[in-house]
Amino acid sequence: MNCRHIKNRLLPTNTSLCSLVLFLSFLLMALLAPVIAPYDPYIRFEPYRSPSLEHLLGTNDLGNDIFSELIYSSRVSLIVGFGAALMATIIGTVIGLFAGYFKGTPDEILMGITDIFLMIPQIPLIIILAAFLMPSFYLIALIMGSLWWTSTARVVRSKALQIRETSFVEAARSLGFSDMHIIFSDILPNIVHVITPKFLMAIASAMIAESSISFLGLGDPTAKSWGMMINFAFIRGGFINDYWWWYLPPGICITLFVLSVVLISYAFEESEEAALRIE
Amino acid sequence: MSIAGKKIGRYLFALFLIFSMNFIIPRAMPGDPLTNLLGEDVALTDSTVELLRSEMGLDKPWSEQYIDYWWGILHLDLGYSYHLHSAVSTILLSRIKWTLMLSLPSVVLGALLGTFMGALAGWKRRSARRKMEASSFLMIYCTPPFFLSLMCLYIFSFRLGLFPLKGFYSTGSPIDIIHHLLLPVLVMTLFSSSRNYMIMRGSVLQEKCNLYAAFARAKGLYDEEILFRHIFKNALLPIITMLALDFGFIFSGALFIEIVFSMDGMGNLIYDALMSRDYPVLQGSFLIITVMVVSANLLADILYGHLDPRVSRY
Repeated sequence: MNCRHIKNRLLPTNTSLCSLVLFLSFLLMALLAPVIAPYDPYIRFEPYRSPSLEHLLGTNDLGNDIFSELIYSSRVSLIVGFGAALMATIIGTVIGLFAGYFKGTPDEILMGITDIFLMIPQIPLIIILAAFLMPSFYLIALIMGSLWWTSTARVVRSKALQIRETSFVEAARSLGFSDMHIIFSDILPNIVHVITPKFLMAIASAMIAESSISFLGLGDPTAKSWGMMINFAFIRGGFINDYWWWYLPPGICITLFVLSVVLISYAFEESEEAALRIE
Repeated sequence: MSIAGKKIGRYLFALFLIFSMNFIIPRAMPGDPLTNLLGEDVALTDSTVELLRSEMGLDKPWSEQYIDYWWGILHLDLGYSYHLHSAVSTILLSRIKWTLMLSLPSVVLGALLGTFMGALAGWKRRSARRKMEASSFLMIYCTPPFFLSLMCLYIFSFRLGLFPLKGFYSTGSPIDIIHHLLLPVLVMTLFSSSRNYMIMRGSVLQEKCNLYAAFARAKGLYDEEILFRHIFKNALLPIITMLALDFGFIFSGALFIEIVFSMDGMGNLIYDALMSRDYPVLQGSFLIITVMVVSANLLADILYGHLDPRVSRY
């Protein structure tokens, strides 16, 4: 029961390896969608067909091939996930770095803002904004990104507070480098390992939120995403008629992708000697 | 003392900002603010529109409207839903008790189950049973809530016919209500416990390599004693904020579960309001949720300071 155990993985190493493979294959699927998908997802065949060799997962109510739709949908789902997470991470990192590096009044102000953002009920707010704006999926990602940076900011700040006192930062300061230079080329590289798991967790929650919003029918109706597919299956009778090939694959895809991202993030956190608590 | 004052000031400021946001959103969005405030499917003649406009004060300048808005909130007047033909506060009150019946047991059960099982899992990480448990909780944690609810509804109610398909009651007797609530409560408990489980597990994993745990072991305490007497208390700290927030989201946390199981609580109220663009109801719900979340945060802060005196020292 000593501390060395902590360094061991939460789940065995081959699990994190598997999740990495899964993660990469989803990325490839999104990138190579036109190559992998047998049909254009907008071409219409006979509607409500059961799975066959011709249509691996059958066709939906409009006659689109569901397998191709599934592959193309990964693009929007991943763009929203990555976009929101990227934005949240950038905002959180910059705010955390400035608060931690400058301390004092800037710290008070920035952390005050962070506390206030932390108190906004985010999912209800996103739902209301989506209802008013009828947004495109870029906008949905933007809204999520601008709300979800708070925990990153807190973690980055506490790390930056530690690192600004180290001797190499002091050396850089005494050599006369500017604050900006110290923050971005001395401190930032030393907190990347803290930011990465945060970034991955943000992808996971953004993807779950996007699918939930789409399920409510508030997503971008012109874009195909996994959440939209489930929404259409739900409102157009896929559940009542027992067309499992319509709603099950997108749900499984979301779950698997989120799972792979979360597992990679855990692996990161643990290799970082458990300095952070999982928030 | 000044720290507490600063904190409370921060909370009040947050509340003020979010309430103001709630005022601005319907007025700043594209389209006529009257439509935004009334809801889109309310058909009115031109003369009534003008009448309503002056009744709701939309012809006044923004600054006056803003003061009126606060006046209304301070008198617990959340507006009037032209869609449901009733005051928003009345609608909300009638829905809240149903949501509480669903979410209160789930949150409490989820907290107990998640923390205890998570603590045990962090303590005896290597046993095969704990590993199985951890992976299944992780799977639940990664599934979108609406999807898991749909699957459970499909398998247990639709296929196996063990539970009713929708609603809170059909005859209204207590047993009937419990029968209806069982499956949704189970699903929601699974969700809240899976999250608590993951946090608690990580927390115990970290705590158990501290020196005091080694000392307790050297003193000859039993495993369970070390865990529940010493480690548990310390490991509980990061989870307290989450538990408090669970209570903050007690009205909106069940949103997707209510929608999938067609239960007429707050969540479904919000969904219906979305579908019919009933903005007063949406805003009213958002305000209630905000008040709950902010007070839950305050509660967490106070609780945290009491349970861990180290926090209030700086």
